[in-house]
Amino acid sequence: MDDLYLENIDEFVNDQNKIVTYKWLSLTLGVHVNQAKQMLYHYLEQKRKESSGTRLHATYLVSGKFTQNGNTCHKVAVVREDQLEGLKSKMIVTASIHVYSIQKVVLKDSGPLFNTDYDAIKENLNICSKYSAIRCASAVPRSSAEISRLQEIAQGTPPASEGQQAASKLSMNGHSPSALKPATQQPKGIMGMFASKAASKHHETSKEVKTEAKEDSVAAEASNSKPTSKGSAMSNFFGKTATRKTKPSPQTAEVVIKEEAASSAASPASKEEDEPSSSSAAKQVPAIKEEKPKTSEAAPKKRKDSKTKAKRLERSDSEDDKSESQQKKRRRIKKPQPDSSDDEIIPDSPPARNVKTPSPPPEAEVKKECATHTEDAGGIKRRKRRKVLKSKTSLDDEGCIVTEKVYESESYSDSEDDFVKSNKQQLSKQPATLRATGGKKVEDKKSQKKSAANKGTKQASIMGFFQKK
Amino acid sequence: MTTLTRQDLNFGQVVADILCEFLEVAIHLILYVREVYPSGIFQKRKKYSVPVQMSCHPELNQYIQDTLHCIKPLIVKNDAEKIVVVIMDKEHHPVERFVFEMSQPPLVSISSDTLLSHVEQLLRAFILKISVCDAVLDNNPPGCTFTVLVHTREAATRNMEKIQVIKDFPWIVADEQEVHMREPRLIPLKTMTSDIVKMQLYVEERAQKAS
Repeated sequence: MDDLYLENIDEFVNDQNKIVTYKWLSLTLGVHVNQAKQMLYHYLEQKRKESSGTRLHATYLVSGKFTQNGNTCHKVAVVREDQLEGLKSKMIVTASIHVYSIQKVVLKDSGPLFNTDYDAIKENLNICSKYSAIRCASAVPRSSAEISRLQEIAQGTPPASEGQQAASKLSMNGHSPSALKPATQQPKGIMGMFASKAASKHHETSKEVKTEAKEDSVAAEASNSKPTSKGSAMSNFFGKTATRKTKPSPQTAEVVIKEEAASSAASPASKEEDEPSSSSAAKQVPAIKEEKPKTSEAAPKKRKDSKTKAKRLERSDSEDDKSESQQKKRRRIKKPQPDSSDDEIIPDSPPARNVKTPSPPPEAEVKKECATHTEDAGGIKRRKRRKVLKSKTSLDDEGCIVTEKVYESESYSDSEDDFVKSNKQQLSKQPATLRATGGKKVEDKKSQKKSAANKGTKQASIMGFFQKK
Repeated sequence: MTTLTRQDLNFGQVVADILCEFLEVAIHLILYVREVYPSGIFQKRKKYSVPVQMSCHPELNQYIQDTLHCIKPLIVKNDAEKIVVVIMDKEHHPVERFVFEMSQPPLVSISSDTLLSHVEQLLRAFILKISVCDAVLDNNPPGCTFTVLVHTREAATRNMEKIQVIKDFPWIVADEQEVHMREPRLIPLKTMTSDIVKMQLYVEERAQKAS
């Protein structure tokens, strides 16, 4: 190949101040990804030899065998140049290293890398796999006849599943009955990924660090003991008689992998929630370790926690090493473990969340949730506790102001929200005046309050307030 | 597919909403990239389908939101000519100014569908440019603070002084010291032209930053 590409890369990096990733380069110049990687390498070598002009920075993709907490796994990481040697020395076997990107600026985080590739791939969506090294012979576009047939099936299912479908079509194909075909193919593909220890590059999703292979296959095998019970429990829970390809273990693993992937088009709502919570949890590695023994109860839950914890640790290793070292912060913002609250989330949460939580006694859990569910349907209002994310500011022992976002259990009941709130306001003024004034006024206020209570429909709640006192 | 024309009351609101959302993300990103605040207070969030860094600090977020809340009416009426994020050193002399110049094109209508994905793409490019602006700018001295200035057309600010849009959040006319910078160097970052707004982002940098 001629050397024109060197000038091209030079123009992109120096004149246009772009971040040139190998994927972007391959799509821009129309070359195979491996060729693009070599081009970047040659350019970097040439520039380093010249050692003149502006300093260039590079990021590398490293993959290999890695041990963590006694588990060996296959790790794929994007690291800056200064972190490269450190990571290489930690790995048992380094399977591959190649240049991921070249840019003028020192990257503080991996966001711009994703941003660069996003538009390039979006514009070239039909040919984005043309230059890729990953191939799957059975991955062909559907014919229009197939699509129309599947759409008919999709319209036939109950409307309750439509919301799930929208979410599931994008990420969890196993749920939607209309996506049976990709459901069978995709888990196989994912399981194939786990089984092979080769350095398989994740096509679009290798931006973040992932833990896979042995760790997940162990988890999958161990949870095989209750796939059927879980599957039936879940399907009972949703009240659907539609056929479900319940392969919970690959789904769970698949879900976890996909959640970690920055670019997979998962349902926006759950994804957005998961992203800030998981990325912020990554920053609190010491906090997580302390909270872990407290929150994990049963064995499967522990296992799942350790799996996601490993993932989070990986993230923190690669991305936040720099920030971990800057530990002198006067203001610390702590985030709770979202895992601890998973089991208590009310049943109406989308299926994405429910698949992620393998509740230890699935039947007992389902029964409890079913109970509240049917009672609601029956029209009887019950008091429920829900967890609400609230911001608490407090002074910790060092004298630093700490703002914590915590899930606080809040007692509430469907129809009583407003009523209780408005009465609480009245009632909160009450105690103050009780103390200030004499006995006569106390009686007056009490009678006033009772009449106010009578206006509402739920006397029970007001009496409950008195009883608590 | 709803088509909004300039005559529609909503047109200005929609455009202002989009721009204020973008400005919020951009201001947070500028604070992160230029290290005005320690990176520990920032967390990754998603906007325009890409990860961006937003701060978690409640007071900082409130301040930025209040600022943009006051700017929004100016944008609706197309009175805001430039919105400037000024980074100042300890002596309150400006060190860097990120200038967002915006104007509304004289185009008649927008359609809700394809246009917004194109706008999203353009805004994404702005975000990317801000992320890499470090390469063309010198480092700031430590202990910098920031403020937001609005250059308005004509005398729109007279109304602002009379009507406090948000209680206890007054706007004042900026002093010369904050507006003008000694020996500025101009570095253009990005320009975009779309059907709803024409925006330009450039940075004015002081030649010698360490005082």
